[in-house]
Amino acid sequence: MSTLYVVLEVADAAYILPASEVRELETFAGATPVPAAAAFVAGVVHIRGRVVPVVDLRRRFGLPAVERTLETRVVVTEVGDRLVGLVADRARELVRPAAEITPPPRVIAEQTLGFVKGIVELDKRIYLLLDLDRIIGEEQDHGERDLHLDDGGPRRRALPR
Amino acid sequence: MSDPVDLREFVSAFVTEAAEHLEVANSKLLLIESAARGGQPMLRHVRDVFRALHTIKGLAAMVGVESIVTISHRMEAILRTADQASTALSLDTIDALLEGTRAIEVRVKQLADGLPVGEPPASLVLRLDTLDAEPEAATRAITRATRLDPAIAQKLSAAEHEHLATASAAGQRAYRADFFPSPARAEQGFSINRVRERVSAIGELVKVLPLSVPATEHAPGGLAFVILVVTSALPAQLAAAVGIDADAVIALDAEVKPEVAAESDAVEDELIVNEPARRGIVRVDVSRLDEAMDRLSSLVVSRFRLSREAVRLAERGVDVRTLQTLLAEHSRQLRDLRAAILKVRMVPIAEVLDRVPMIVRSLRRSTGKSVRLEIDGGHTELDKAVAERLFPAIVHLVRNAVDHAIETPDERARRGKPEEGLVRVTCTEHSNARLVLSVSDDGRGIDRETVARRAEVEVPATDAELLDLLCRPGLSTRDEVSTVSGRGMGLDIIRRVAVEQLGGELAVSSVWRVGTTFTMTVPLTVSIVDAFTFECAGQRFVVPVAIVDEIVEVDEGVATRLAGSKGNVRVFFRRGESIPLLPLEEVLGLGVERVGARKAIVVRRAGEPIAFAVDRMLGQQEVVVRPLEDPLVQVPGITGATDLGDGQPTLVVDLVALGGVVRMVRGAAA
Repeated sequence: MSTLYVVLEVADAAYILPASEVRELETFAGATPVPAAAAFVAGVVHIRGRVVPVVDLRRRFGLPAVERTLETRVVVTEVGDRLVGLVADRARELVRPAAEITPPPRVIAEQTLGFVKGIVELDKRIYLLLDLDRIIGEEQDHGERDLHLDDGGPRRRALPR
Repeated sequence: MSDPVDLREFVSAFVTEAAEHLEVANSKLLLIESAARGGQPMLRHVRDVFRALHTIKGLAAMVGVESIVTISHRMEAILRTADQASTALSLDTIDALLEGTRAIEVRVKQLADGLPVGEPPASLVLRLDTLDAEPEAATRAITRATRLDPAIAQKLSAAEHEHLATASAAGQRAYRADFFPSPARAEQGFSINRVRERVSAIGELVKVLPLSVPATEHAPGGLAFVILVVTSALPAQLAAAVGIDADAVIALDAEVKPEVAAESDAVEDELIVNEPARRGIVRVDVSRLDEAMDRLSSLVVSRFRLSREAVRLAERGVDVRTLQTLLAEHSRQLRDLRAAILKVRMVPIAEVLDRVPMIVRSLRRSTGKSVRLEIDGGHTELDKAVAERLFPAIVHLVRNAVDHAIETPDERARRGKPEEGLVRVTCTEHSNARLVLSVSDDGRGIDRETVARRAEVEVPATDAELLDLLCRPGLSTRDEVSTVSGRGMGLDIIRRVAVEQLGGELAVSSVWRVGTTFTMTVPLTVSIVDAFTFECAGQRFVVPVAIVDEIVEVDEGVATRLAGSKGNVRVFFRRGESIPLLPLEEVLGLGVERVGARKAIVVRRAGEPIAFAVDRMLGQQEVVVRPLEDPLVQVPGITGATDLGDGQPTLVVDLVALGGVVRMVRGAAA
């Protein structure tokens, strides 16, 4: 029984997430920026009464920003108690790859900053399975995260110079 | 009522506690009422009501509200008789008892509002007296003499006399103990307030009377308190509670007559044994919990400073690995502490829904409709603040269902429905700490066409469109539409509560002639604060009013720029005090600084003022603060977000905490 995946298009690549981890797809009307949050956090939006952070996948992947279009989507993911939105250029397809998803070759894993944990081909198109935990994860706990402020970390801009 | 002791502290406790017991009494009476229709006596519930009223009476005596003592005492007598005789209460009696609880409710409310408490309604007292099936027992007891000084006796109400005189019938005894306040005794912990508490713990305080006495060494204040109490405790225990010699305790009633005691002891014993264990329960004012939360915020700020210090150490090449582990641990502990405080604010949903049967009961009477209410509350707990806001919405929906949706028995019979209508209130906890509450009825359903015609729009195709239509404020005030279409009024208000105030959702599903279900989905916790809204660098923010010292107009061109400051810290003078002024956009990293006339929000941190320049103030309003729960957006100085009505989150800034961050950075830069 193969799994259903949601396709997120960012720049020219097609990324996938298991449909079971996606709660809904929303059009993106902009987010409220949160000062001092990581640079890849576009801000917060209201989704069903909850305040949900939105991660800009382009910024997360270190890609140049583009204008928001009517096709821009917030893919709302649900991991445990967390709801986190991912901004993708497009998200309108579901796929059910027949082949097994394999871990990416090391070069690809490194090139994608560890955000891709699987790769699969379907109808001559390559799909990259996102490592959601890494994308929205706190790699460290709070106490340590704060420490990165002075390492020129992305949250630094919040503090007066 | 010339008691010189400050009763205020007792009053608020009394109001809360009495309300709780009244709720118990009401809900149990309603159960008894429905059981009585089937001819069942429901003795267990009778005892619960008895216990509740008994407690209310004792509490009322403590705060000296005679009229409540009088009413509850009479109700208690009826219940005791019914219990002893194991007879079912008649519907008329139940009705009278409900009238009694209402009368008590009114008086508790008066007391809470600081109004004079009304006398017991004569008609009610008469009704209760007439209903007491065994008036002889009471009369017999009353005629038994109490050994009281006439001077004191005349200060007691009839109910109090009766209470003292009938103590033995309840297997207890009535005593008088005199307490003489003095500084020396107060030092040993014997103030009148403490004595009251201690005596109440071992018996029922019937009355505390202040009495002028000649000033002596024993009574340096020339004042004594005559404490009249009914208790099963020994005179020595009472003496210890009051702080006097055991032989100074005077028994007021005659010796217990064995045969009387034998008959009623069993009942009272059972009542006492069955008293649910209430130990370990503390009533706490929500504001105290908020205060604890505030303290916690400052703790979070100092932890932040700690981690900064660790960074500086690391920069100097110090090995901080252990320190980092500790900091991580500390941060987890802080989160746990926050969760623990939030948990204290939770109340069971069942407590909220307890009051719904009363509402349906009165609607049944006013509409003449036959309605059955089913409640399935589950064991969900929700924040007190959410419960308070949710309750009026529930009432509204239930009222609409009974008033407008449920048809008259005739109409129902014609439609082949059971004559008795059904209103169901169900509550379940959804994942993600959300509560799903639905109110459904098997009434006439919403007539989409009529609603659409009245609103002069097309017939809504979906339930969501129908809801939008129903929530049009203009539409909802037209009563005749309500009655015809069976959809009730004020839905716009309910939606505002659910969506704007609580950050939830409202949904409807309705089938014409079959029934309607309204479903509210709301978060289990929410915090509401009074806040100023303002704008800075094109972004809107809110700040809690409570932390703002003042808002002043400053001209940054005039305020002195500090030499050597890396940022744009300025300083200005106000009432002889120098106040540092920081552009908020710079503190938050929002972009370029503006110069010119601006507003400054002054807060105080550890007594020292600090001002943040903002572009303009927009207003003041109550906002619902939703926490930024996700670790990605948990940052110092931002406590949460709110919806000001545009659907976009507006951030709540804690300027006091920000002040701390700023100071810390300055310190680090020095």
